Amino acid sequence: MTDARTAEADPPWEGLRGHDLYAACMHEARVGNRAAMNRLVTELTPLVWQVARGNGLDAHTAEDVVQTVWLALFRHLDRLTDARALAAWLITTTRREAQRVGKKPRSMPLTDELAEAVPSTQPAPEAEAVRVDRDRRLWQAFGELPQRCQELLRLTVLAGRAEYRLVAETLRMPHGSIGPTRSRCLKTMRDLLEAQGGSA
Amino acid sequence: MKEGTYPDDDTLLAELGRVVDQVDPPPAGLAERVQFALALEDLDVEVARWERADAMAGVRSVDQGTITFTVSDLTVMINLTKVGMGHRIDGWLVPEGEYGVEVRVAGHGSSSTTADDGGRFVLDSVPRGTTQIVVYIDGASCRRTVVTPAVVL
Repeated sequence: MTDARTAEADPPWEGLRGHDLYAACMHEARVGNRAAMNRLVTELTPLVWQVARGNGLDAHTAEDVVQTVWLALFRHLDRLTDARALAAWLITTTRREAQRVGKKPRSMPLTDELAEAVPSTQPAPEAEAVRVDRDRRLWQAFGELPQRCQELLRLTVLAGRAEYRLVAETLRMPHGSIGPTRSRCLKTMRDLLEAQGGSA
Repeated sequence: MKEGTYPDDDTLLAELGRVVDQVDPPPAGLAERVQFALALEDLDVEVARWERADAMAGVRSVDQGTITFTVSDLTVMINLTKVGMGHRIDGWLVPEGEYGVEVRVAGHGSSSTTADDGGRFVLDSVPRGTTQIVVYIDGASCRRTVVTPAVVL
């Protein structure tokens, strides 16, 4: 009866999470299982995206890099034997690719992007307007941080979420702890926020 | 609490996380485009970059116009012309070569042609959608496959 189960209905990674999920998918992907590849892509594209953006790429270039990194992974999957190394491999490869294609590090027009993302032309309730303004300042301060800080904080935010606990391990970041570098980045961000105060 | 301040690092990080999610999430359909790009028979490929003029910044999907992709020593230029529900693609490979060109469109299979000795190729009535161009370089000394990223055309 157990043979009755089909790969589509009940893939070998069903119900797995974290390393176990990656290990099962990588194993299946090595023998050409497209569904396993797709599962990994769905799971980890947000990670690759954050690293690409955290390394100063504009959204379009970041998207190209995300595609390049995934193709590279599946081309070289046989070289990556340990599922525990997957997140680190993706981060390192994305970083390297971002440095290769990135023309010149420049700060992204972050405030404009936020301006588009939030409906600022609509008359908003006062509380909403205050929040939007706070978000705008936060995003601006973030965009002024050194590149290294931007990447680290993006990864820190991601690693704080249950499904990306592996990223925390990759960053050697015990749950709930903020390392010294992160502290310095956050301190810098507070200083930047403080400095904006004058122009309020 | 002073307005605009964050009492501790956890609060600041949580707020940053919320704003990043709001302002800079992975683009809609990105994972699907990656999956489409991966659905090649042979993944031993080089990925070309979409070279964007500054004027194009902010425009990912183009209806008409010229798009340039480059990888190391090869440039693929395509010009799109709207024809009915689809596109005509006029393409040009530099350096020129009589290479095989395949255009894959998600949900529509693919169409193939061969560039002429000037590196030019034409594909009529290519459906719109998530598209990837594959160039098969069959030179005397090497065989390579170059692909563009999967892009919405």
